[in-house]
Amino acid sequence: MTLSTRDTADHIYAHGLRNQWHPVVPSHFVEPGGMRKVTALGENWLLFRKADGGLSMLADRCPHRGAPLSLGKHLGDRVACWYHGVEVDGTGTVTSVPGLPGCNLEGKTLVTSLPVREVGGAILAYFGDEEHPDPVELTLPGPLADEEISAFLCYAEWEVPWRFAMENLLDPMHGAFLHSESHTMFAGDTTAKFRIRETERGYFFEKTDQRGVNFDWVELCHTGVDWVDLSIPYPPSAGPGGPFGIVGMACPVDAGRTGVFFWRYRRVSDWQRDTWRFLYKTLIEARHWEVLEQDRVILESMPADADQRENLYQHDLGVVRLRRLYQAQAGRQSKAQPVSAR
Amino acid sequence: MPETWPYLETHQTRDHEPTPYETKLARTLEDIFTKDGHGLSDVIDGLNSRQLRTPTGEPWTEESFRAEMHRLGA
Ligand code: FES
Ligand SMILES: [Fe+2]
Repeated sequence: MTLSTRDTADHIYAHGLRNQWHPVVPSHFVEPGGMRKVTALGENWLLFRKADGGLSMLADRCPHRGAPLSLGKHLGDRVACWYHGVEVDGTGTVTSVPGLPGCNLEGKTLVTSLPVREVGGAILAYFGDEEHPDPVELTLPGPLADEEISAFLCYAEWEVPWRFAMENLLDPMHGAFLHSESHTMFAGDTTAKFRIRETERGYFFEKTDQRGVNFDWVELCHTGVDWVDLSIPYPPSAGPGGPFGIVGMACPVDAGRTGVFFWRYRRVSDWQRDTWRFLYKTLIEARHWEVLEQDRVILESMPADADQRENLYQHDLGVVRLRRLYQAQAGRQSKAQPVSAR
Repeated sequence: MPETWPYLETHQTRDHEPTPYETKLARTLEDIFTKDGHGLSDVIDGLNSRQLRTPTGEPWTEESFRAEMHRLGA
């Protein structure tokens, strides 16, 4: 058992919401025939890939006496625990107990395995709690499924609570200040009025008086995985194809760490596509990285209690809305009794 | 199994360091896009008028440019 409904709502809010998909790491972090230990939602997991590419994600805990399976040996289609050699396959089933052949552990599924999918070069997993082991439907972000759109994934690991990383995305106004010295967000007004616009899958938080100039809108989408969509203009040097978009996701690693996933995408085809991709790899990627570093520096410098001692104004409505949604969700996912009721 | 936290890599999409030729070509394309326009003919004219040559020393054509971008950017 890994994610327990007995955790408090505070714990769940701090370590990541359950019963949905989250990105974990880029696909290339786990080579064919390889394995990798990862932390997500405050728990340790083992990603395990067979030679044919098939991927499994197991709780990193041997069913015998709890040693990390990630210290064990990759046996092709199983992993053998280092401590006493118990073998577990990709579904979490014990296939062999070498010290006691025929032992009744054999054939039992004793290790939690999470449903996984690979999307746009990233590994997504469904993190159900003990009451919701079956994955919810996952609808992929449109821009990642559209053949007319070309995308590159950028992945980074930040020392920030996951909710700070998400709140930053629902706060478009920081673009005109934090990123005022950047290749993309130097233009546009530094004052704005915002509104929230509901959609079937989430909501837009957008400027009412400027579009297509800076980071002027963002849409939060719940489609089995939480992601944002947004668009930012390129300078003329980036060539034909118009603005680039970002599909953003976050992996709650633990209470203080987050893996951020940004797919920069552009609607381009033919020679325009190839040219953008060439320029991206050669020159533009480093400039995008600089912008992302500005976010990391400011967010990593925020005090841990930043969201408890604020004075918010109209530009923060998108953040307030996000917090309410997530806190309510964490409350519903916790069956912990309030302390006084125990 | 290495643990590599935090992963902070500027370049995640390259399979090699750009060669001097590739860097020069990219910078020239940016210059053309900034000053001359975004059409394919702007690009071909821009490269040729700046005396930039293909790797085999010829002037650029639409065909050779498409092929080269496909090689470098696909
Ligand atoms: S703890 Fe893993 S085999 Fe004993
Ligand atoms: Fe930012």
